[in-house]
Amino acid sequence: MTDRCVQDTGQKMGCRLRLKVFLRSLALQASWNPQRMQNLGLLSCLLPLRSSRPGQDINADRIFCRRYYEFFNTNPYLANFIIGGLIRLEQEMDDGQGLDPHLPLTYRDSLGRTFASLGDQLFWLGLRPALIMVLCFLGLLEHTGGILLGVGIFAVLQLGLRWWSLHKGYLLGMEILGLLRHPFWHTAIKWTRRTAMLATGLVGGLFLTRVQDMSLPAGKSLLWAGVALGVGLPLIMRRRLPGEGLLVVAVGLSFLLTFAIWPPGH
Amino acid sequence: MSVMALIAFPDISFLALLALLAGLLTLDDTSLAQTWFSQPLPAALLAGFFCGDPLTGLAIGLPLQLILAVNLPVGQSFTGEPAVATVAAVGASVLSGRTLMVPMVGAEPQPFGFVGWMVLAAGSLSALGHFLVQAERRAHTLWMLEGHRTLRDGNLDRMASLQARCLATTFLRGSLLVVLMLLFLLWAWIPLYQHLPLRLQQTLAILPWLLPGLGLGTLVDRYGRSRAWLWALAGLLLALAMFQLPGVLA
Repeated sequence: MTDRCVQDTGQKMGCRLRLKVFLRSLALQASWNPQRMQNLGLLSCLLPLRSSRPGQDINADRIFCRRYYEFFNTNPYLANFIIGGLIRLEQEMDDGQGLDPHLPLTYRDSLGRTFASLGDQLFWLGLRPALIMVLCFLGLLEHTGGILLGVGIFAVLQLGLRWWSLHKGYLLGMEILGLLRHPFWHTAIKWTRRTAMLATGLVGGLFLTRVQDMSLPAGKSLLWAGVALGVGLPLIMRRRLPGEGLLVVAVGLSFLLTFAIWPPGH
Repeated sequence: MSVMALIAFPDISFLALLALLAGLLTLDDTSLAQTWFSQPLPAALLAGFFCGDPLTGLAIGLPLQLILAVNLPVGQSFTGEPAVATVAAVGASVLSGRTLMVPMVGAEPQPFGFVGWMVLAAGSLSALGHFLVQAERRAHTLWMLEGHRTLRDGNLDRMASLQARCLATTFLRGSLLVVLMLLFLLWAWIPLYQHLPLRLQQTLAILPWLLPGLGLGTLVDRYGRSRAWLWALAGLLLALAMFQLPGVLA
């Protein structure tokens, strides 16, 4: 997609180093904290770079840690673009290519925000609801194997993306802006959202066909009451409840609905 | 049910297996890999498979997934502890000797009071687990600040061990919490069901049928405020055409 942007500098990220960084990058959020978020996770990912060097320079290690111990937060699925790029910048600095020592920080901060925004739109607001609704659709059809297969396919693909993006970020280095400018991102976000909505409608439609078979007087109204509540509640409350809060609201509404379905004395 | 039967301790190997599963799923939630196997539906199915009853997993996991679909495990937002709560609910249901039917597959809702009871349990325990998650994150802050010593002495191993400590804590949280939740469900929550008034049991029977609409409505509200809602409508019509037209034509 953006190979034309790659500059060959002769730098290489060996397979051992790549594997070590990749495995650590899977735990980028393990030490997530409210104060500096993924800072310890990022530093942990970059540690193999230091340990792969011959000899130990405590002063250089201190400066290295200080550089990466500030606030950092990005989308975990796209973080490896940044980590790969940082490894390349660090190598270039070590090779004495005259880079400004503040450059990796600017690179980290600006790309962190950009990939956080892209990743949240693509993964959390696009792919996640799409996949979840597809899983629910399969669940309504009682395809248990299909559900696990669907999640498994996503898992393999996202691990592949992380492995590939680590190398891609390394190859691109400062040229990663070309990748960010690519229209692919916005197209992907748009289509994943559409897929999510399509799958949401599919689940709703399948549910409707299920309640058709019930001899329950309030069959369809259970779906529409829920939909109306789901759409209307945030407008009334002016805030969006988490799923667990919605569950409590649903218990209250279910209680009221029982009087319509099974009147007193029924 | 006798008191001895009520407080009978589950098989240790069964508990250990569920603790292992819950620990791994807790790691998967935000700490490690984030493969989405920790989402309520796959987590419930996995727990069901581990317990030898995947349909019980599906019965609890499907309504729970629909209502928790709106939770985003991003930054400071509410996260809950759905994976552990789901595994505990499925494990306790199987241990109680019940085989649950999947709601929304065409049968009457009356048998689903117990499903609603367990879904309510999983949702409530997930909400309670949220406070533990927050406490753990505050502990992460303290450990992260401990790493400042490396900024003075250059000891890189400390950073690696702090990260490993965070991972181990998360795994332990999931493993221990699932055992506590499961015992609570088995010894208190499930026996309580048969003492509920009929009206409450009917409420719980309705619950799994109401949750899909509520979950879908919330998703449409959250993601469909633009022209994307047309796609939801298209999906609805497509499903009706796929599953209802053949019956009408026949």
